[in-house]
Amino acid sequence: MTVGSQVKTCYASIKNIEATLAILVNQTNEANARNAYRETEEIIIEIKKDLEKQVLMLSREEPQYNQ
Amino acid sequence: MPDWIQIIIRAISLLVILFLFTKWLGMKQLSQLNIFEYITGIVLGGIVAIHVSTLESPIHFALISMFIWFIIPYLVELISLKSKAFRNFTQGKSRVVIQNGKIMEDNLKKEHYSTDDLLESLRERNIFKVADVEFAVLEPTGKLNVLPKRENRPITAKDLTLTLAPDREPQTVIMDGKPLLEPLANISLNPTWLETELEKMNVSIENVFLGQVDSDGQLTVDLYDDTLVIPSPSQKPLLLATMKKCQADLELFALATDNEMTKQMYQRNSEKLQKAIDHISPYLR
Repeated sequence: MTVGSQVKTCYASIKNIEATLAILVNQTNEANARNAYRETEEIIIEIKKDLEKQVLMLSREEPQYNQ
Repeated sequence: MPDWIQIIIRAISLLVILFLFTKWLGMKQLSQLNIFEYITGIVLGGIVAIHVSTLESPIHFALISMFIWFIIPYLVELISLKSKAFRNFTQGKSRVVIQNGKIMEDNLKKEHYSTDDLLESLRERNIFKVADVEFAVLEPTGKLNVLPKRENRPITAKDLTLTLAPDREPQTVIMDGKPLLEPLANISLNPTWLETELEKMNVSIENVFLGQVDSDGQLTVDLYDDTLVIPSPSQKPLLLATMKKCQADLELFALATDNEMTKQMYQRNSEKLQKAIDHISPYLR
């Protein structure tokens, strides 16, 4: 696996985490738990933004894997 | 009117009256009754027993005496609810028999409680050594309540300084193969959600004997057919594992890259994710 695809896999996992947290936020009926999930979701979104930039940059550096 | 018809009428009417009186007198269990309530119960029963088995005394005598034995305990209970001093007088006070690990012999004597009685009650609470007890109090009902010394108490999450996620009571949403709508509404879920969850588990609702939802919205079911294997909820453990994997990946990327800026970005995000994991892991256990 190239670095680009590794980072992409990680980016996909982060998106998976974000989505699961979003489900949990909606499913739980316990206020504390809901807040904790929501706070974690916000952190994950920040990480996701950083990784997104990195994925774009890597795909520019390795255009042959982007076809 | 023949005697036997009179007996039937008496039996039925007194039964109803006795039922209502005992209902109004309170819902306490027999073991929680104090001596006065206990005697009241016996006397009410006695009056009914006498009047349903013989015709010698007229029925209104029964009604009068039952009413008196009902109204006085009722009033006593009513006043006791309002006044602490009256309550101490009618229901008795609890008495400390062990304080700071020392037996209070005078208090034991006042309650006519022998050393053997004390040891027996302690053994009932699985305490065989008086030295293990910090504090014990004898309740008016005759029950001994014991606070063991700190080192003899069961260990709790607080002692271990563990953070645990608070949780609510689970709701029973399926019973005997039928969805229960009110508990579902209590946790703001709907039957469609239930159908989807059951479909995920690949079971039909008719086959479910009991289904419960915990405070995180995870459904657990018990089926009629015990040979079927149902997956246990894996969403939360899976989420935690994925988060840990991502964190490890980010650290790896940080080590692998030579670009200083990118390295810092990876490191920053890996730390952020670690913080997120620490924050959320009590809820995902």
